[in-house]
Amino acid sequence: MAFSPLIDELIEALRCLPGVGPKSAQRMAFHLLQRDRDGARRLAGALEQAADQVSACRECRILTEQERCSICASSRRDRGMLCIVESPADVHALDAATDYGGVYFVLNGRLSPLDGVGPAELGLDQLERRFESGEVREIILATNPTVEGEATAHYIAELARGFGIGVSRIAHGVPVGGELEYVDSGTLSHAFAGRREYQ
Amino acid sequence: MTAERRVVNLEPAFVLHVRPYRDTSAIIEAFTENHGRVGLVGRGVRGQRSRLRGVLQPFGPLLLSWSGRGELATLTGAEPQGGALRIGGARVAAGFYLNELLMRLVRRDDPHPALYAAYREAISALAASGDAEPPLRVFEKRLLEEIGYGLTLDHDAAGEPIEPEGWYSVHAEGLPVRVETQEAATHVFRGSSLLALCSERSLGPDAAADAKRLLRMALQAHLGPRPLKSRELYRQLSGTRERERDGRAPGNTQTGGSEP
Repeated sequence: MAFSPLIDELIEALRCLPGVGPKSAQRMAFHLLQRDRDGARRLAGALEQAADQVSACRECRILTEQERCSICASSRRDRGMLCIVESPADVHALDAATDYGGVYFVLNGRLSPLDGVGPAELGLDQLERRFESGEVREIILATNPTVEGEATAHYIAELARGFGIGVSRIAHGVPVGGELEYVDSGTLSHAFAGRREYQ
Repeated sequence: MTAERRVVNLEPAFVLHVRPYRDTSAIIEAFTENHGRVGLVGRGVRGQRSRLRGVLQPFGPLLLSWSGRGELATLTGAEPQGGALRIGGARVAAGFYLNELLMRLVRRDDPHPALYAAYREAISALAASGDAEPPLRVFEKRLLEEIGYGLTLDHDAAGEPIEPEGWYSVHAEGLPVRVETQEAATHVFRGSSLLALCSERSLGPDAAADAKRLLRMALQAHLGPRPLKSRELYRQLSGTRERERDGRAPGNTQTGGSEP
């Protein structure tokens, strides 16, 4: 049985969400229409506002409705330290987990020639201008420990060294509470090679 | 199409490319020893609990198991074979270049055991120290041979053996033709360079430049107009390093010579 056009439209629209197939979309649609009209209106309003107003921060490219995000605009952040990450989600993960007091730069991807992603697609020219301005003293490369992430880190490191900027890379290691026996060999060899003096 | 169910266990392979698929799955392009390039669906391999996330990376020798019928089979297992090879720095772009060549020029499910051996050798050479370019040339030459477009490098169109002192005009298809010139020009190469490439000897600077030009021309004929993204990256990566050595601020100067 076909639903009425508006309901069909709603179900189809909900399917743009990740992991939502026809069945879940239908369940969501009926939930919103039968049990939670207020929630539906709030959702619609929030979606519309966010879609219209949210864009990338001019400096770090985190998503925000302001011109500069709260991190870049903060006066308590050290603007000489720049942490470079692949996605906006990484910013939130790092900010929640560490006491890092610098600012971020979001690449929105990684160098991956087989996907057609090169330095230009990652906005590395924007990053280069930032290096050129002389504001940045030190960068922390927090791209993912994958082959593509390492290639990206290498590229940016070379770029930064050209400007005399200090470069560090996040460590790869054994997860806290993990057991060596169950850690994959790649991680273990990285952790072993990157061991530190015990203090 | 009558696709029968295939079950393959612990096949030596390299991952060429991993593309995210759905929430936690991925489509894996792998180059295998006995089954050529295969496309595999890795269900849940990107999930939080997946133990394969770190394993399914390019440039590490793996043993892959899969089963299924049709175009895409389902990955059923993957384990590292021996230690992981680490390709550091700008050389990783050369590794991407090899992968991009395989993705563009080798069809799925065509077995190429000899090419697999050439790939493994090239990757090991890139992981070791030493000049990154010669292994690329050998791989390119063997790739052309394997896909049926091998260059004739030991005799010319007249059936005469190639003379080291002679100069030859070579095109992507057809035999070398001896020419009465004494300098390199488009499609014109030294006889000694052809012979050196033919025997896969170590190439001197002239021969290396010739071989690069020759293989690039030959590959281009089969790659079509779409540029190789990894070649661009390789140039840019070597470029940043050169700029750093010069102590100059990076600009948009393009260095023409340093690309695979």
